[in-house]
Amino acid sequence: MINFIDFLNILLPFFYVVTFGIYSYDFMKGKKELANSKRLFLFITLLFHATYLITRTIYFGHPPITNVFEIFTVLAFAVSFSYFVLELVTDIRGTGPFIIIISILFQVVSSLEIEHIITVKEVLKSNLLGVHVFSALVGYSGITISAVYGFLYLMLYKEIKLNQFGLIFDRLPSLEILEKLSFSSAIIGFVLLTIAIIIGIIWLPQAFPDFSYADPKLIGTSIVWILYGIGILSKLLGKWRGKKVVILSIVGFIIAILSTMLTNFLSLSFHSFY
Amino acid sequence: MKLLAVSINHHSAPVELREALYLGIEDIKNLATEAKGKLFSEGLVLCTCNRTEFYGIPVDKNISYFDVQNFVIEKKSTHKINPEHFQSFMSREAVKHLFRVITGIDSLLIGDNQIFKQVKDSFLVSEEMGFSGFLMKRIFDAATIVGKRSITETEIGEGAVTVSYAAVQLIEKILSTLNKKSALVIGAGETGEIAAKHLQDRGIGTLAITNRTIEKAEKLAQSLKSKIIPFSNFKEHLHEYDIVISATSAPDLILTKEDVKKSMKKRNSASLVLMDIAIPRDMDPETKNLDYVFYHDIDSLNIIVEQNLSKRKSEIPKVEKIIEEELDNFFNWYNSLQAAPTIKNLRDYFEAVRAEEVGKNKNKFSTDDQEKLEIVTKRIINKILHHPTIELRKSAESGDNSPESATRLGILRELFGIDNHKPDEEKK
Repeated sequence: MINFIDFLNILLPFFYVVTFGIYSYDFMKGKKELANSKRLFLFITLLFHATYLITRTIYFGHPPITNVFEIFTVLAFAVSFSYFVLELVTDIRGTGPFIIIISILFQVVSSLEIEHIITVKEVLKSNLLGVHVFSALVGYSGITISAVYGFLYLMLYKEIKLNQFGLIFDRLPSLEILEKLSFSSAIIGFVLLTIAIIIGIIWLPQAFPDFSYADPKLIGTSIVWILYGIGILSKLLGKWRGKKVVILSIVGFIIAILSTMLTNFLSLSFHSFY
Repeated sequence: MKLLAVSINHHSAPVELREALYLGIEDIKNLATEAKGKLFSEGLVLCTCNRTEFYGIPVDKNISYFDVQNFVIEKKSTHKINPEHFQSFMSREAVKHLFRVITGIDSLLIGDNQIFKQVKDSFLVSEEMGFSGFLMKRIFDAATIVGKRSITETEIGEGAVTVSYAAVQLIEKILSTLNKKSALVIGAGETGEIAAKHLQDRGIGTLAITNRTIEKAEKLAQSLKSKIIPFSNFKEHLHEYDIVISATSAPDLILTKEDVKKSMKKRNSASLVLMDIAIPRDMDPETKNLDYVFYHDIDSLNIIVEQNLSKRKSEIPKVEKIIEEELDNFFNWYNSLQAAPTIKNLRDYFEAVRAEEVGKNKNKFSTDDQEKLEIVTKRIINKILHHPTIELRKSAESGDNSPESATRLGILRELFGIDNHKPDEEKK
């Protein structure tokens, strides 16, 4: 089984790259005949990825959420899976390459660095951890997608304002739809991040003797949470709209990524397990 | 096939002449009635804003397209028409011309998507007048296939190629769910009317018209079932609209940056689309510097139009390939309408049916009877086919390939499904 897991681990980046290639080709050429086959290819990629995650969980006896590279592969899956559902529900197809490339980045790093860890710290076997990590991951994929749509909104906004009617203008959905997609993803991300934070605040002090409220990841996540909170509230109250909200979403995403990288690679925190 | 086509269109004649030759439905019916029997055994008269065309199978070999041209010149003798104003085609070129017309690649506005319906309607008139026969129907069927293929397999009809439609395309890139949006059209002239109609076609939620002359606004509003805003105070209502299209002939600006700024404040900065399709411009171009105000004038809309037109032009080779393929298919079918191959195909078809049925049932007969069964069934087939074969041979010997003969053979092949049924050796 370990060989199969290793094989899938090598194969997954290629699957994502090929899927990205098909989506990008379709984006450039706008061929009607690729509209369904690209979706099928994404589905196959996700199927292989799900198989990989399941076999890994069975073989190692724990879900792949115990270190940053395991989390990266789950994040790659969560981002593409969320996009797949979004594409099915909304039938907005022009934005795929911009989302799938995020999955490629996460999966390539994960595939290169992931190791076979069978023994995990006792503390990581808690069920609460599962809920905490799961909600945090889906929350992060929500804000990732929100940031991507926010970025696309800004690009299209600029093109329309400057009378540049190129590929972006031709292929992307309307500004209003991009804003809605970015905002809905941000709300999903915010709600799940809130759940992750609440569980974290209740559970972490009991689980970790060296728990500190000054933990960089906690601070980073709190900043992200507050930023999104401000953005969502302002938008709901009708005070902010369009550019302001999407810029906030992009900034929130960048802070979230930076805080993850800092805490995990600099090993400054109890949050680093690898 | 001797199909004749004579056309007066934007390639060959000036607009005044095309206007003079425009035919209403009654004119078309009258001309079809006159041409039938005199010039054509069957045919089609097509008339659009930019073309008047006659297609037909001549009643005899001596009829040429000069006769058709003279027929038109006689009918419209009040206008200075001369042979240089005509484009004339014969046989394969005539069919090809119809195919080019139906796909829109011969149109003034390349890829014009109304021409398909116009050709279809003309054919229906022709059918109604009894002017369309077996061959014209097959030509029309082939043209329909070409038209549909060019729509589905190429992008010849994609993208907006008129300024008012480009405005709507641009609006749809900024706002979605137009049924929940409101639009104000300033100016009830022709341009304003077209823009308003486009918006209504796209299902705009609320449509309002304002015009300096209230009567004109009322007339347009009535036909579009939209609201009217008095021109004197339309600025007070500006904030109620997500889209403002202006197409007046006012010499000065009617909407300043300050007006838009005030309205944006009231709108709480909700996106506002301003389409200035007037010359000279009606709105201050500086409004484009305001956040969430999407100001576009005729120049920026022309960029979209030009881009779409050049995309359509790049699709022409693909359409021409489809035309050539379907021309080959059509003439393969037409060339099969010869007496000798039809006799062979017909006999092969009957023999295949006979052999199949005998094969299925011969086990029900004794060995001696099986031989008799073969002989008897073959004799029946020969007797059935005797008379048709003699008649067809007469055609073959006389070398008669007239439209009547082709029609007779075509109907025969269609009746027995010969073109759908290929003998085994051909399949291999």
